[in-house]
Amino acid sequence: MALTARQTNALRAGVLLSPAYLWLTVAVFLPLSAMLFFSFLSAAPFTTDDWHFTTSNYTAFFSRSLYPDLLGRSLLLSAVVTLCCVIIGYPCAYVLAKQIKGRSREALFLLIILPFWSNSLVRIFSWAIVLRGNGIIDHTIEAILPVDVSINLMFSFPAIVIGLVHSYLPYVILTCYLALQAIDDTLIDAARSLGAPFHTIFVRLILPLSLPGLAAGAVLIFVPVAGSFMEPRILGGRMGTFYGTVIEDQFVAVFNWPLGAALSFILLAVVLVILGAASPVLRHAR
Amino acid sequence: MAEVEVRNVTLRFGALKALDDVSLVFPDGQFFGLLGPSGSGKTTLLRAIAGFIFPDSGSVLIGGAPVEHVPVEKREIGMMFQSYALFPNMSVADNIAFGLTVRRVAGAEIRRRVGEVLDLVQLGGLGDRRPHQLSGGQRQRVALARAIVTRPRVLLLDEPLSALDKALRVDMQVELKRIQREIGITTLFVTHDQEEALTLSDRIGILRDGRLVQEGTPRDMYHHPGDRFTASFLGETNFIEGRAETDGLHLADGTLLPWPDGKRPAGETLTLAVRPEAIVLSSAEPDRSDDRAVLSGTLQQAVFSGATAICRVDVMGATLKVLVKNHELADLAAGQTVWLSWPAARSMVLREA
Amino acid sequence: MSPRRTWPIAAGRVYVGVILFFLYAPIMVMALMSFNASEFYAFPLHFTLDWYRKLAGNAPIISSAWRSVWIAIVTTAIATTLGTAASLALFRYDFPGKRVLQVMLFPPIAIPWLIIGTAMLIFFFWVGIGRGTPAVILGHVALALPYVIVVVSARLQTFDIQLEEAARSLGASSWQVTRAVTLPWIASGVVAGALFAFAVSFDQFVVSYFLAQPGDATLPVVIYTAIRKGFTPEINAISTIIIVISMAVMLAASRHFKFGGER
Repeated sequence: MALTARQTNALRAGVLLSPAYLWLTVAVFLPLSAMLFFSFLSAAPFTTDDWHFTTSNYTAFFSRSLYPDLLGRSLLLSAVVTLCCVIIGYPCAYVLAKQIKGRSREALFLLIILPFWSNSLVRIFSWAIVLRGNGIIDHTIEAILPVDVSINLMFSFPAIVIGLVHSYLPYVILTCYLALQAIDDTLIDAARSLGAPFHTIFVRLILPLSLPGLAAGAVLIFVPVAGSFMEPRILGGRMGTFYGTVIEDQFVAVFNWPLGAALSFILLAVVLVILGAASPVLRHAR
Repeated sequence: MAEVEVRNVTLRFGALKALDDVSLVFPDGQFFGLLGPSGSGKTTLLRAIAGFIFPDSGSVLIGGAPVEHVPVEKREIGMMFQSYALFPNMSVADNIAFGLTVRRVAGAEIRRRVGEVLDLVQLGGLGDRRPHQLSGGQRQRVALARAIVTRPRVLLLDEPLSALDKALRVDMQVELKRIQREIGITTLFVTHDQEEALTLSDRIGILRDGRLVQEGTPRDMYHHPGDRFTASFLGETNFIEGRAETDGLHLADGTLLPWPDGKRPAGETLTLAVRPEAIVLSSAEPDRSDDRAVLSGTLQQAVFSGATAICRVDVMGATLKVLVKNHELADLAAGQTVWLSWPAARSMVLREA
Repeated sequence: MSPRRTWPIAAGRVYVGVILFFLYAPIMVMALMSFNASEFYAFPLHFTLDWYRKLAGNAPIISSAWRSVWIAIVTTAIATTLGTAASLALFRYDFPGKRVLQVMLFPPIAIPWLIIGTAMLIFFFWVGIGRGTPAVILGHVALALPYVIVVVSARLQTFDIQLEEAARSLGASSWQVTRAVTLPWIASGVVAGALFAFAVSFDQFVVSYFLAQPGDATLPVVIYTAIRKGFTPEINAISTIIIVISMAVMLAASRHFKFGGER
């Protein structure tokens, strides 16, 4: 039976798309579904034959205040890091997008983005070196001021924040830069010709138009940080217990996979709620 | 060479009917102009014949055989795009040879045919250039050469001249016609420029809102348009309102304009129309006879327009446009009473449309 | 330029300079320390290549480095091929559910990798794939695919689809069109996508951490375990090397892809 031309097109599209999307299904979507299923089990089916369905993993979350507290702590960390990144990053993006022109702009932008693409573990490690006591900070300050200092920032909440801000800052600069750069300069010229002072132009024109980019950057920082465990462990030491580290423990140390799955899923639900709430704004983002 | 036919083709884009039950025959070897305002569906029809889009109902036939199951690459068509679509990564010669290369024609044969067609479009010797090194007119000719070198059954042209400036466009019209005559290929030419269509085509079809309004030879369509839309789309027309009776159109002041084709049955809703170039304008009342239409009115404006002068005459509230020779301007003054007359045979009777 | 306008501009440049300093300072320090003789990062500085020499003799680190490179190469090959094919389909054809497919690309980027990594671990164990290099590659390709598709699709936006239509009207089959007309144009996008995929895989930590076999891990995982056990300056050395490699790869990618958008 000869295919109509229309059917041949559909076939071609299918052939081109299926490998990639099959892979994504097997590697991402099926695992996520499996994890959901898993979270309702009492024990991993491949370790023992004695398992049953239960909601005890989820009730465990609510029964002890430990887990909600840690989730709250992680979300707080996310909020702090996101806020810092936005406050530091947005002006930088603005300067790059609006004030610096030409080749130097491209070069600077590239320089800012480059670290983002290198290994985040290694970058956190570099902060571990810098922040430790009797290290470079002490020596630099001692070289400038006539005081004897011993600043040890390691293994503290601020250390974790610094490391995470350093990791994710280029991301928010990228999204804000794209959004700001897309604002037509002639719009600003028009506003100026109508007599508007800078702060009015900024609040009523630039900020609203760049908001989708800002929101995109904020969301894409908030979400990963909420699940981070590597940075807290390295920079936080004993202070570095967060929701993410607890989940990690379930899989790596305690081997209570169903509980880990349930905790993961709760985090995923929170993340999806946040993404959902932000999506109207994000829809306009590039 | 083959005849192309579309039968009852309907095509929707979402809720919009881009083509509505269109049936047309494009005769073998003829140059057919598809004309219409933007959004009329003419490009849609062309692309449906090419095979890039598919009708929801109806069929497309090339050489008498339906082509629903035939993909674009097997329909043996040649197509020219408005933007020429020359492959930027290939030389002119490679661009033209592309259709032959994919058909696995032998290298020597390819070189011979490419050389032949380059001479045909008068671009001999430019084979090694890249598209970006050519002028607009040259690119257009490369696009044409590329489309015809494979000896397709049908040539489809999608507004190929609209990107060119006026002088170049007129030259290319002549070229296109010459080449088409020489190779005798069935050609479908889409354009929104009615003058271009009238000049080039052996037959014309007018589309409006996805429907075929009328088709025929340029002269037929020009002198005998079927309705108001066609009459005003092709060239310029004056429309005259009045009461339709069996012997002619009766105007408000009692003037009778006889029908061009004798008596007509009563009860039809008809409009009389006449082209500006058919009307004779005079300051003195002309002789009346049964086979002439005569009107009087007030000259509002007479404007010099190069070879002619354009006059606007107010006749009982309606403005008629008349062309006069440019040397007659001197005798005319705004506000004077003038007489318009023309042979009744040149009146056009239109259905209400 | 009026005095009123110069100072904000100067301040802006200083600000960007400060941020650049913040971004590169720790990396510079780490690189510095990798050449420093003191094992405990104490001052004063004595230049030495000892740590790099020790690194060359550190078999576990070196073998995990090669493993990372090999995995990254395989990931790149697979992700680039699959991703480019998918991008072509999304560009050429319109069909119901296209929007859904585009949305499906977001989870690997938007969901915390902790969740994806642990989910993969559960699922792979369950179906018998277990841990190890195949699992790692499965995971890496899934993470790299969205990046490849985004980059190649961005390049396709600049491609005139009428070129493909012209080629088809001349009788070229789908594959001939792709090879002769489309791929030459999008080549730079494909190269950029490949480099992105390499970077994503080579630098990937979280997913590798959960999916790698203890003895058989990728480089970032080995570094992490070493850090948890305590500093050794060889870690400095290998870290410096990794950062240089990653940045070199992205510099290469930037020649083919404008991060700042086409302007």
